[in-house]
Amino acid sequence: MIKIENLTKHYHVAQGKVEAINGLNLEVADGEIFGMIGPSGAGKSTLIRMLNLLEKPTAGTININGTDLTELSSQNLRTARQKIGMIFQHFNLLSSRTVVGNVAFPLEIAGVKKKERRKKAKELIELVGLSDRADHYPAQLSGGQKQRVGIARALANNPDLLLSDEATSSLDPESTKAVLELLGKIRDEMNLTIILITHEMGVIKDICDRVAVLESGKIIEEGKIIDIFSRPQQSLTKKFISSVIDFDLPERIIKHVKAERPGELIRVSFVGETTNDPHISDLVKHYSVDANILYGNIDEIQGVPFGTLVLDLEGQLTNIEESISYLRSKDLRVEVLEDV
Amino acid sequence: MFNFITDLARYNDLMLSGLLETLYMVAMSLFFAIVGGIPLGVLTTITRPGHILPNKPFNFILDGIINIGRSIPFIILMVAVIPLTRMIVGTSIGTNAAVVPLSLAAIPFMGRVTDNAILEIDHGVVESAQSMGASPMQIVFKVLLPESLPAIILGLTLTAISLVSYSAMAGAIGGGGLGDIAIRYGYQRFQLPIMVETIVVLVIMVQFIQFFGNQIASFFDHRS
Repeated sequence: MIKIENLTKHYHVAQGKVEAINGLNLEVADGEIFGMIGPSGAGKSTLIRMLNLLEKPTAGTININGTDLTELSSQNLRTARQKIGMIFQHFNLLSSRTVVGNVAFPLEIAGVKKKERRKKAKELIELVGLSDRADHYPAQLSGGQKQRVGIARALANNPDLLLSDEATSSLDPESTKAVLELLGKIRDEMNLTIILITHEMGVIKDICDRVAVLESGKIIEEGKIIDIFSRPQQSLTKKFISSVIDFDLPERIIKHVKAERPGELIRVSFVGETTNDPHISDLVKHYSVDANILYGNIDEIQGVPFGTLVLDLEGQLTNIEESISYLRSKDLRVEVLEDV
Repeated sequence: MFNFITDLARYNDLMLSGLLETLYMVAMSLFFAIVGGIPLGVLTTITRPGHILPNKPFNFILDGIINIGRSIPFIILMVAVIPLTRMIVGTSIGTNAAVVPLSLAAIPFMGRVTDNAILEIDHGVVESAQSMGASPMQIVFKVLLPESLPAIILGLTLTAISLVSYSAMAGAIGGGGLGDIAIRYGYQRFQLPIMVETIVVLVIMVQFIQFFGNQIASFFDHRS
């Protein structure tokens, strides 16, 4: 388990003090894929680089499986780092070594014998699906292939934890998908914990179990993916979600609808089981309101259906209010859209 | 024209020995440039702020040595180190004696070339090695030197060519070699053919060094 307490990083620059990370607390369970998202400058990169002490924290502790990394001697830190794999946005492969050479590199550092190194490297290259490229140099590979070499390399010393620093940010959508699938696969097969940072909500949606939203060096929202997607609290979180699932009507249309008709404009969000029941027709039957569907969308987040409807309810005000509480009683999330 | 050719034939042995002397001086000082300059360059880079073993005072001294060494004109360096040359070689005249100032000029030059070559490596590559738990020693020998090898070889080529021209200067104070021949025969005795021949030989030599340097560098270069 990874337990981060009061993690703080302050820089001193010519213009004064920069508070990159401010007293951050976090726990990540074994085998979890934990995502951290935030706009650029939020401190994501600083945070993930502190997890293997590439960046030295100003204060706080980083406890990985019972060992506080910040208290280790440099010799012990090097040994501990062998059990923390890391992959990078720009891959950072050695241009002077072939694929096999790159994957064997961390084993060489750990002092593994040459024969074993080669054997282990070949296995990992097979795992990431690059056996036919084993003797190629990085310059001869595509971005997606380079990142797969990066992943194989990060796994060489059988790490407990894999850190991913924007690993898919410089890849095309197809390679991104393949790399994310690979990460999911190795988590399942090797039972390792993955902490990733990204600025793409799609990455979070596809493979993370939990997510933390970072803003100005602080976690402003944290939770399971489905909870965050269905009930985002912070406006930044909503902004990130809307980049992958858009459930807003254009403002002009909301204004237009509200101006033309009396009644309420509501947004209903539903998750999982509730998507199967015909709540809206119940509503129309029992509360004598008319429901005009302006917008509807169903998506799936890691196998859980998840959707949104925007309804224009017409009828007597009391009936509308009753119907809203009816929907809420059915475990649906209802928001009344205000004038913008 | 006839005179020209017989002159050349007459001085064949002289030219050959001059060529060998030049090659000897260049090779010896290149050897010291590698042994002294590459470690100097590596230490300068890794002690820079933000690199793997940052050490401001140490970096300041090394950087200073390189700058001072490179800012002294070779002809002055050559004369200035005569006492040192006498101490090491026992004499201040001859090819062995010339190797001392040549090496002293080549070491800081190679130091800067190595420093620049290593600085070109993307810092992310160094960080990835650190993230795997590599020690500074492992980073130097498994990352910095192999990754900068093509650039270091090109730098070595550059150093070798500079040494060819420096060695010609060393001829002026009795260092021997082609430069010595060009000055004594070509300049002081007005034997133009000798002068021309030494120049031709030097040009061919430089072409060869550059050609092989490029070949070896591209053999080790897998970046594209």
